[in-house]
Amino acid sequence: MKPHHHLDDATLLSYSAGALPPALAVVASAHLERCAQCRESQHAADRIGGVLMQQQRVDAPTDDARAAMLALLDREPVPEHPAQPADIVERDDPDRLPGALQPWFGHSLRALRWKRVAPGVQRIRASGIGGGNLMLLRIAPGSKLPLHSHGGSELTMILDGAYDDMLGHFGPGDVADLDGQINHQPVTSPGVPCICVAATDAPLVFSGWFARTLQPLLGF
Amino acid sequence: SNAAPDAHDWSLLMAAVSTQRDRASFMRIYDHFAPRLQRYLRNLGVAESTADELVQEALLTLWRKAALFDPARASLGTWLYRVARNLYIDQVRREPHWLPIQEGLDRLDHLESARLDSQPESSFDQDLLKQAIDRLPPMQAKLVRMCYLESKSHSEISGELAMPLGSVKSSLRRAFAKLQGSMRAPR
Ligand SMILES: [Zn+2]
Ligand SMILES: [Zn+2]
Repeated sequence: MKPHHHLDDATLLSYSAGALPPALAVVASAHLERCAQCRESQHAADRIGGVLMQQQRVDAPTDDARAAMLALLDREPVPEHPAQPADIVERDDPDRLPGALQPWFGHSLRALRWKRVAPGVQRIRASGIGGGNLMLLRIAPGSKLPLHSHGGSELTMILDGAYDDMLGHFGPGDVADLDGQINHQPVTSPGVPCICVAATDAPLVFSGWFARTLQPLLGF
Repeated sequence: SNAAPDAHDWSLLMAAVSTQRDRASFMRIYDHFAPRLQRYLRNLGVAESTADELVQEALLTLWRKAALFDPARASLGTWLYRVARNLYIDQVRREPHWLPIQEGLDRLDHLESARLDSQPESSFDQDLLKQAIDRLPPMQAKLVRMCYLESKSHSEISGELAMPLGSVKSSLRRAFAKLQGSMRAPR
């Protein structure tokens, strides 16, 4: 199924520039895995990087640098141990987490070990991510979250279930890429819990909608 | 030394590298790209010796994987930019899962481009993109450069320029739309 809500162009551009904080980049990668349209845009963004890289004024390489490069070629071929590509495949297994999330949360949605943090809200936090916060949230069907706005940069992608807010209906694969100007009140759809992965770029403290939404519930 | 071969010549040089392991062709690619990749990494704040190593590693990747280069999918400049950026994120920023994820996404694209009639990137496109970058309003151009050439996040840019986060994002969005428009120009 094709997503209907996509990464913001400003987010794609920063992803391509290697300038997105790590936690946000994980969620962006997870969406790119599911979205050919955003992958096309990302290629366009990579082209911009390629041109900017080439536009710089530089001097010709020194003889020493050229000799060092040639010496390295002499040592080739070395046995190659390519990194195993992430488990990114085109297959519609609703239990399988996107490849980009697997290092942090494992492979299977069903196998996740949730922690209850408030009535109707469960959470799993990724540990050891360099910049920002990354977490999975599982919100009971038919829940109305408090009206809130957003602090810093936050990126949320739906993995299962759905919610509705003033921006529309968000189902599996959709991302909400929101900045400070949005004020909304998501309501999860009836039936199954809404499971989403969310990232913020704020170090250590919860900012934005998680703070305002969950702070009173979670007491942090 | 600044007169770069055009896209067609780059793919001929790459073919000579991949099929004949031709060192002269490789060194022509090296002479153009190595100093530019080096400057790119130095701008990102990478120490000189590390930058030298990463440039060598990027070019070695090219030497090893020249057969995977597909001129219909990306220009050599775009391809090498990705390699260098990925090495930077992997080795300088030390994000351990970035490389396998990028390889996975790449593989998806290979599957896809076999199906889709994707638009090849030509030297004509590159020229249009260069012109579009030069035509960006100064503030948009500044923000684009802070992203790509200084690797600053939206929040960092917002702090540094005392500009609301929403304005940073909308400026970048407008810049990207213009640049993408130039790449979709009718031919
Ligand atoms: Zn998308
Ligand atoms: Zn929200």
